[in-house]
Amino acid sequence: MGVLITPSMIGQVVISGLLAGSLYAMVALGLGLIFGVMRVLNVAHGPLLMMGAYTTFWLFQGIGFNPYLSLLVSMPLLFLVGAALQRFLVRRVVDAPELSSLLLTFGVSIALVNLAQLAFTSDLRAVEYLTGSFVVGPFALSKPRLATCGFAIAITLGAFVFLRSTRLGKAIRAVSQSREVAQVCGIDVQRIHLITFGIGSALAAAGGSLVAVMVAIQPEMGQVYTFKSFLVIVLGGAGNYPGALLGGLLLGLVEQLASLFLTAQVNEAVAYVLLVLVLLIRPTGLLKGRV
Amino acid sequence: MKRWFPVALAVLAVGLALYPLQATGYGVRVMLQLFMWVALAQSWNLISGLTGYVSFGHVVFFGTGAYASSLLIVKLGWAWPLACLGGGVVAAGLAFLIGWPCLRLKGPYFAIATLGLNEVMRVVVSYYEGLTGGGNGLSLPTLDASVEIYYAMGLVAAAVTAVTYVIVTSRFGLRLMTIREDEVAAEAMGIDTHRYKLYAFLLSAAAPGVVGGLSARDQGYIEPLSVFPLIMTITMIVMALFGGKGTIWGPVLGGFVLFAFQEAVWAHFIYLHQLLFGAIIVAVVLLMPRGILGVLQQKYNLPRTI
Amino acid sequence: MAPLLEVRSVVKRFGGVAAVGGVSLALEPGRIYGLIGPNGSGKTTLFNCITGVDRADEGEIHFKGRRIDGLKPHQIFHLGMGRTFQVIRVFPELTALENLLVVTTAGYAEAERRARELLALVKLERLGGEFAGNLSYGQQKLVEFIRVLMTDPELILLDEPAAGVNRTLLNELLEAVRRLRDQGKTVLLVEHDMKVVMGLCETVFVLDHGEKLAEGAPGVIQADERVIEAYFGR
Repeated sequence: MGVLITPSMIGQVVISGLLAGSLYAMVALGLGLIFGVMRVLNVAHGPLLMMGAYTTFWLFQGIGFNPYLSLLVSMPLLFLVGAALQRFLVRRVVDAPELSSLLLTFGVSIALVNLAQLAFTSDLRAVEYLTGSFVVGPFALSKPRLATCGFAIAITLGAFVFLRSTRLGKAIRAVSQSREVAQVCGIDVQRIHLITFGIGSALAAAGGSLVAVMVAIQPEMGQVYTFKSFLVIVLGGAGNYPGALLGGLLLGLVEQLASLFLTAQVNEAVAYVLLVLVLLIRPTGLLKGRV
Repeated sequence: MKRWFPVALAVLAVGLALYPLQATGYGVRVMLQLFMWVALAQSWNLISGLTGYVSFGHVVFFGTGAYASSLLIVKLGWAWPLACLGGGVVAAGLAFLIGWPCLRLKGPYFAIATLGLNEVMRVVVSYYEGLTGGGNGLSLPTLDASVEIYYAMGLVAAAVTAVTYVIVTSRFGLRLMTIREDEVAAEAMGIDTHRYKLYAFLLSAAAPGVVGGLSARDQGYIEPLSVFPLIMTITMIVMALFGGKGTIWGPVLGGFVLFAFQEAVWAHFIYLHQLLFGAIIVAVVLLMPRGILGVLQQKYNLPRTI
Repeated sequence: MAPLLEVRSVVKRFGGVAAVGGVSLALEPGRIYGLIGPNGSGKTTLFNCITGVDRADEGEIHFKGRRIDGLKPHQIFHLGMGRTFQVIRVFPELTALENLLVVTTAGYAEAERRARELLALVKLERLGGEFAGNLSYGQQKLVEFIRVLMTDPELILLDEPAAGVNRTLLNELLEAVRRLRDQGKTVLLVEHDMKVVMGLCETVFVLDHGEKLAEGAPGVIQADERVIEAYFGR
């Protein structure tokens, strides 16, 4: 293509990559928690993100509610939705062969997307709240991206503090390491499953609310995030929660870097190729995880 | 029980063979599609029903076959029957390429990898515009061969069902099932699970490749969005699940029932239709994971050849 | 005569913990060996390393003079080593007969003959056509046991064969194991039931916290203070 790559372009890419990556990390952490605790791959993760985005949209559209404040609504709301999904559906297949939970969440994701189609139509929506960029030297820092990154980092760090320091968080980590041992230690595993699914959904919703300001909102918007979240988990190592952070940043960087050399279309393939490469070379992830 | 079944089958086969002689063009087209769905559901069953490795992107073989065979027709002037077989071969080749690395992975990893594969192929096809026409699609020379394609589709559907029968009644099939039952034990008992999974995957890709080519020939025009849609994977899965994954006739039953349902609902209420499919998947997994035939098998202690 | 199986300083870690931390042992052909130790001492992990289910982080494993660590389980199986599992792993939706048939690559007729032979050996001839998942616990245990024998392996690893089994069945199993030894086969079993181990095994290895604590004849082991200490409270 013969494009001259300048240092400032690299710098821009790195910055954009990190900004995007922080969002990926947060959303992926949600998927990773569910996978780590229950060994369930929540294919409906993307649609949950989509529901978060729509929540933000309708609040903004209806009562001019600040999109960033709507996190306080979308996260608890989707926490409840996720918990309900777990309690009434997913719980029944946690001990069944893996393909049952795969197919179940697959079915749920189809149902959710099409419910959204019926309820909201496939018209593209947007939340026009924050636009433009700060220009710092040769770099352009998109305002919505900065805000997204800031909130994503805050929420992700909050999640880590929760996992590290609170009793509930420790219980979650215990169950994800060994369900039997956790039970023997008196932990109510059912309750942990319920709460974890809720938290995972809340994190997805947070992602949705944050991207609502940046991208077109439509029922299918979440699908790609399911895949990318999974990719991040694979990169960081399944069950390795800090790894999700690194994986997310890495994905963000790789995508932005690839956009320098490849057309926008081919960019979509980057994530997949990356996935296959990692699965071939180091299935346990870049950091140590459990396959 | 055992006696009337082959007789009923034979009667059905004769009926279907004679159908085009006194049906409308539209009727033939509809039945042709039914055969296509049976072939697709049956193929998904070969990998996901028998080995338990869920393929979420199986439509990729349909689309790849469609493009491969259409290009053979358009660029190299092949006759469509041969081109469609070519589509099947290319699809199987893709299955080998992807299956070799990806079948080493555990269930969820493999499933997601197949999902991504579909998207990648769609992008690849769009990218090589010069060859495939990209987003503008690819047109085939006009040809009215609906009746011939009807028979071809019917043959493929019958062939896949026959192959499934042979597999399920053989030790090869038993070994595939052990992968589903307990892969660790299967490995410990000397079964090279990777090799068996790969064979199953190849077999499961061939028929979609062929019917992809046939469908493309029948429509006369294809574009990336029409041959790589997620809804086709969803439909394949619902049909096989509903009828009974892991059985021989389950996908056929599911194909017939849900196709009829689809014809009734789809055209008018597309999102409701897809919503219902999603709900059916959830319901089947929770309430009758082995599908209708699976439930009947258990209740009446039927042999596995159902 | 070279040992049939040689485990040399095998280490296997999970996370930061060494489940097996440098274990060495050797098995001579035609004997019955026992592997005992308190819960969590690394017995099953060691089994998994030997059979290829897990890959040892350090050390080597040799079988019939050939290095096998790093090989896949199905390859090791075909070299002449079979195993059973702590938690029964028959294939539930296959019949008892089919469970046996899938194992061997021999021709169908011969495989079926051998399968029926083995079923008769453990008095399960009539249940060949039953789905393995429908059999009783004891029957499944027997099926798993004879399944291992389908290809006539030289080394048989049994993971807690006595678990959950009634006295009569247990005696049958033990008799079968003795007969195998008399045929020149080698058996290594992991077991918690001390009476079984002491009555059956000629040499016993004791593991504790991933290391080999002691090795020797059952009587010697029973009297060893360190062993008693490791089991303190049992």
